[in-house]
Amino acid sequence: MKRKLISLILGTTMIAAALTGCGGSGQADNNAPAEAPAEGGDAQEPAAPEADGAGTSEEVTLTVLAGQSTTDAGIEDMIDAALAEQYPNITLEWECVDWGNDFQPKMQQYMQSGLPDIMIGKAQDVATYAPQGILGEIDATYLDRGLDAARENVTIDGKTYGLVYNALYQGVYYNKTMFAENGWEIPKTQEDLQAIIDDCKAKGITPFASHMVDTWSIGNVTMQFMMNDVFNNDPTWGDKFRAGEVSFAEDKMAQTAYQYNKLIFDNTYPETFSTEQTDCDAKMVLGEAAMKVSGSWSIQNFLDIDESFDFGIFPFPNQSGDSKLIFEPNITVMTSANSEHQDAINCVLDVLTGNQDLAVEIYDYTKTASMLKDVTPTFTNPSQSDIDKYAADGMIVDVTLGNNQLVWGGFQEENAKDIAAWLQGDASFEDALAASDARVDASSAN
Amino acid sequence: MKNINKNSMEKNLEKQYLILVLPGLIIFTIGLIIPLLLAFRYSFTSWDGMSAEKPFVGLKNYIDLIQDSDFRSAWWFTIKFTIGNTIIQNVLALGFAIALDSGIKAQKIYRTAFFVPCLISALIVGFVWLKMFSNVLPAVNDLLGTNINFLLFGDGKTVLSGLLIANNWQWVGYWMLIYLAGLQSIPGDLYEAAKVDGAGAWTRFRNVTLPMLAPAITICVVGITTGSLKVYDLLVSSTKGGPGRASTSVIYQTYTTAINGRQYGYGSAMSVSLVLVLLLVALIQVKGLKSKEVQQ
Repeated sequence: MKRKLISLILGTTMIAAALTGCGGSGQADNNAPAEAPAEGGDAQEPAAPEADGAGTSEEVTLTVLAGQSTTDAGIEDMIDAALAEQYPNITLEWECVDWGNDFQPKMQQYMQSGLPDIMIGKAQDVATYAPQGILGEIDATYLDRGLDAARENVTIDGKTYGLVYNALYQGVYYNKTMFAENGWEIPKTQEDLQAIIDDCKAKGITPFASHMVDTWSIGNVTMQFMMNDVFNNDPTWGDKFRAGEVSFAEDKMAQTAYQYNKLIFDNTYPETFSTEQTDCDAKMVLGEAAMKVSGSWSIQNFLDIDESFDFGIFPFPNQSGDSKLIFEPNITVMTSANSEHQDAINCVLDVLTGNQDLAVEIYDYTKTASMLKDVTPTFTNPSQSDIDKYAADGMIVDVTLGNNQLVWGGFQEENAKDIAAWLQGDASFEDALAASDARVDASSAN
Repeated sequence: MKNINKNSMEKNLEKQYLILVLPGLIIFTIGLIIPLLLAFRYSFTSWDGMSAEKPFVGLKNYIDLIQDSDFRSAWWFTIKFTIGNTIIQNVLALGFAIALDSGIKAQKIYRTAFFVPCLISALIVGFVWLKMFSNVLPAVNDLLGTNINFLLFGDGKTVLSGLLIANNWQWVGYWMLIYLAGLQSIPGDLYEAAKVDGAGAWTRFRNVTLPMLAPAITICVVGITTGSLKVYDLLVSSTKGGPGRASTSVIYQTYTTAINGRQYGYGSAMSVSLVLVLLLVALIQVKGLKSKEVQQ
């Protein structure tokens, strides 16, 4: 009898433990599965937070999935602090993940179990998730505090599903002092660039710093090349690719974009496939390399290593000599269409877009550009004068155009692996092109 | 009357066994059997993992798998990694176990030192060895003025060696303990009898130690093989499957295809094929090795 009782208790305990593990958390209401609304998404009428700044006195905890770039880790504490001052009744429960590797898997998981109230990703995520009907429309009150350019690629069928908060610039970062000492002019054509590379080699300078151990860096620069040599000539190249009208195996411009990777590989240090980003940026700052094809995420490292490092940026020269600097809307706030805490979400959007001190703090920390009206970062960005010059000349292009047509996850990311295999001699150039063509079904988010 | 009591007692015992087995069975079913069946179902669809529709595509995913060069290359890497690990880890673990069993001094310190790495997460191990190969050992090179190529993760031709070093460093101590336990359970009489019969050290090892260790060998070989076939976390923090695809394992390929590539159906077909291979390998090994075991 005693044994039976013990076994019964043991069994019941284990079943209870198993069921508890399988059950929902106390936040089940927040994460109620999102039902797909009618075509284009079912935008609820967002209520602006109340004027007293409290929104509501009820204690609310909002869940946040933050897909972060390398520059972003730490901004969650700044947002928490600002929110605690303005809306002390609202608490954010953060889940910070690496955008490149983990944001999409997390989103897939949450699409099955219920979305967080707020998701922070990149502008290109809107094209992936908004058509699923799971994102809420952002209220114009907050969108109006941002630059008009911020809305372009996060608006679908006239409805805006993302609040773009900051932007990155991508191109070739160069050591200004080294360029001045060697009399190198900013290259506009491939011939100009080759002349600098040749001079670098003659003087024992490594032309390019690179960190190809991070496959994402290969994917990133390839899209930079694609933007200037392919999308600038044919803004619908990705759609034509899916329609079977163009292909990597046949399109010379796309092949040229891939070949630039070889140019970098042949003119960087031999240990690039063992060099991480921080070490790579350090080599650049220490004058071991003249240039680095990268983005604003490198500025944080550059200035952390040496705050007096003088650098500029120019677009990687294309075949026609009319390359544009790449602009990428980065931190993009999205909200769940089915959150029960829309008021509280709006309070968070209010803090993000209305608190200029917070915005400047975040921009200064991430070393990125503002996408809010009348907010300018105060950090010294040696490359800002170059950015301003290209902006004044209308020589800036939004990479979301390319990223929306040829998505990162499953396409660009996988192509980068094939490019790496080709550079390593483990696959032929034709193999890499064929692999990209074979991946056509994965090139679109939808 | 006695028979009736006995039957009733047996029935009661059966009920108790059932109650004790039930929780484990429920957890196993929820955590393994149901997902396995779902994966099998999804493997016949082109589901992207996000949308509500799961279009049925029949055997297309399995046919595509056969023609998928990336999947074949992932299998080739996994097989090489598994064979390398199984041989190196078993030989080293057995060697260390014999050395420790021979009564050397500071045995406990050695045992602890060998065992500690397996307490560390494979993710950390991957990161540690990435730093070792990329920064620490090249710095040693500079210090000593030598020119040894330590950049093993940076080249498709050497990445397997680097991963084998990292993986074996982590797990040799664990398997060594199993061999050590096996060695310590062999009765000393057997060795003495063999000595009396004139058997030398090698003959004693071949004819006494190895047969008596057969159960431990079965455990180690099956454990290392199945563990190596499932390698994933070590790769995530060290090589990320690269350079290129040089260190992409089957699980890594399955994950990136199903999750990052939004091809859940196709990824499910990959995982089903892996499960079948795992079952087959484990079955062959257990059958083969069990037949060599001796009863003590």
